[in-house]
Amino acid sequence: MNSYVPILVLALLAVGFAVFSVVLGTLTGPKRWNRAKLQAYESGIEPTPQPPGGGRFPVKYYLTAMLFILFDIEIVFLYPWAVTFQKLGAFGLVEMVTFVVTVLIAYAYVWRRGGLEWD
Amino acid sequence: MSPSAYVTLSVILFAIGGVGVLVRRNAIIVFMCIELMLNAANLAFVAFARMHGNLDGQVIAFFVMVVAAAEVVVGLAILMAIFRTRRSTSVDDASLLKN
Amino acid sequence: MTGSVGHAGLVGHPGVLAASTIAAPHIEYSQLAPMLIVFAAALAGVLVEAFAPRSARRSLHIVLALGGLGAAFILTILIAASSSIFAGGGAGHIAAMGAVGVDRPTLFIQGTILVLAMLTMLIIADTAHGLSPFVAQAAAVPGSAEEREGLLKGVTHTEIYPLTMFAVGGMLLFPAANDLLTMFVALEVLSLPLYLLCGLARRRRLLSQEAAMKYFLLGSFSSAFFLFGIAMLYGFAGSVRLSAIASAASTNTANETLLLAGVALLGLGLLFKIGAVPFQGWKPDVYQGAPTPITALMASCVVVSAFGALLRVFYVAFGTLTWDWRPVLWVIAILTMLLGAVIAITQTDVKRLLAYSSITHAGYILTAVVASSALGLSSSLFYLATYGFSTVGAFALITLVRDPSGEALHLSRWAGLGKRSPLVAATFAFFLLAFAGIPLTSGFTGKFAVFQAAEASGATPLVIIGVLASAIAAFFYVRIIVLMFFSDPVPDGPAVVVPSALTGTAVAIGAAATLFLGIIPGPLLSLANNAATHLFVR
Repeated sequence: MNSYVPILVLALLAVGFAVFSVVLGTLTGPKRWNRAKLQAYESGIEPTPQPPGGGRFPVKYYLTAMLFILFDIEIVFLYPWAVTFQKLGAFGLVEMVTFVVTVLIAYAYVWRRGGLEWD
Repeated sequence: MSPSAYVTLSVILFAIGGVGVLVRRNAIIVFMCIELMLNAANLAFVAFARMHGNLDGQVIAFFVMVVAAAEVVVGLAILMAIFRTRRSTSVDDASLLKN
Repeated sequence: MTGSVGHAGLVGHPGVLAASTIAAPHIEYSQLAPMLIVFAAALAGVLVEAFAPRSARRSLHIVLALGGLGAAFILTILIAASSSIFAGGGAGHIAAMGAVGVDRPTLFIQGTILVLAMLTMLIIADTAHGLSPFVAQAAAVPGSAEEREGLLKGVTHTEIYPLTMFAVGGMLLFPAANDLLTMFVALEVLSLPLYLLCGLARRRRLLSQEAAMKYFLLGSFSSAFFLFGIAMLYGFAGSVRLSAIASAASTNTANETLLLAGVALLGLGLLFKIGAVPFQGWKPDVYQGAPTPITALMASCVVVSAFGALLRVFYVAFGTLTWDWRPVLWVIAILTMLLGAVIAITQTDVKRLLAYSSITHAGYILTAVVASSALGLSSSLFYLATYGFSTVGAFALITLVRDPSGEALHLSRWAGLGKRSPLVAATFAFFLLAFAGIPLTSGFTGKFAVFQAAEASGATPLVIIGVLASAIAAFFYVRIIVLMFFSDPVPDGPAVVVPSALTGTAVAIGAAATLFLGIIPGPLLSLANNAATHLFVR
């Protein structure tokens, strides 16, 4: 159980820091309310109007999400390699480089064919 | 809790997925039911891995997750092409191919 | 893959992996070279898509695809001829820590797949007469301005070549897989590109997309069953190695429910891929909707590959359970032969008809699988090779008979074709006679071999029903021949385009192989016998 104590301490520190900053900000910061302040935050751009029921969203979101899932899930093969890296040695390295190059080829295809361009 | 309970759960999940594929009409939901079946198999693999005390089942679960992700991408691409053409993903509407 | 993790020292401490049990695995790259080359060619194809200018892509792809398949075929022969296998009388090797079996039947199957894939690649690559069978822009909605614009600009999807190569790579791995995880991954690697390729027909795009959706939903449904079957067998044997399952099945009497459930679910997934009744429903729809070259690929290479995997699983993993699965496969073989033949009679679409014919042929091969002997294995191998050549040839011919709107697929359009283009009609008639199993065609020798194997194993009723189904099937083949030669041509009948060198070669090789293997079956038959003597390695 003792080995979990540092994690617990870290979690407490993180929560404490978050609470501290938010409380300190509201207490000490200037308060000027206007319409822009009350809008939903969308990375600084004008918020997209949301039709009732969520509405339709462009196919670009779908493409990005799919690409994310594909490249994200490949990582699961890196974890087992990472923990047995020492035991597998050069063999593991060569195989993993082959694997990453294979994924990179797919990435090059997506990149060159405009899959990563937003507009 | 004994691992055999997890195997029972995985069989139940697999059956729910299988029934869902057969009775639902929306292709997306049919597809989600298939994913449920794959994940049920994953649960069974992990439970059996614990019963047998070897790691094969856990390794298989990794591979199945990757395969399932690839299947999602291919499947949704096909379903979206159909939706853009027909404005519907009902498997009953797709009935041009008949005897 | 799974073999890389040791079992020792773990029992009693599940979930804790003793670090000392891990050793770097050993992979015999030279034994796996054919598959690696095909996958490398596919990856190179993706790079071509990414970096080559549009005008150069098609020719680069053709060189890569045919070169890769050709090199893989040569390597397959070299491996087979090496002193440890055919030449030296050895059974073969197990490579990649038990994940892949490189043995005699597998090499025969892989060679067959590679030759058939090369032939199919010729039809896929054929864009003569400005009519590629594949869609210009899959993302454009059919009938939209975007689609017309793409057609005018002359854009094409050259991604079909790498997709086909990935599928072929999966097909090579599927029958070679010696553990069930590798088999599952290979199954998906071969299936996923095919789902996409099915939806890429240039004409009748709605049909094509619908075929892709049906194939995808049913295909992934069946692979979910396949996977759950693997889970059950893993639960039973504690390993997914085929040999481990076989030895557990002969010693372990507890948990027989898990074993039988696993056999049934795994068998379901495999029987789905070969299109055996009652899992045949997808075949006519998909064969009809898919672009014809892809139909040729599915009807030849995929069937060969799936039968290879089926044979390996039933002969190696379930070899000691013959008495459990044989009665079930008996019933399935009978239903498959009869149902395919009977329903084919009512068909009016050429590709649909050939799909039902393909179902019937799967039934014939199943009669040899049921034999569960070296003779059964060798006759299945021989049949698969002969049937593959005729099928590719027949589908290649279908691409030549065209209406203004695309291929003329309705049978009524084929009336009187023999009077307008005798050569095409005669060649098609020859392929149909081969499907019917008329002597002097390869269909006869193949059918003779499988029925002989079934007879030798005591399955006389199966042989009788097989002959009966052949008679029914011969009826509808002959009906098409009569239609082509003895009815009046339709007034604005389909035009038969002059085949380009690519399709022409595919048809010529298909027809030559069908004739040659019908008259002199000896060499290939003895090769198949030779391939089957040691069965599969364990």
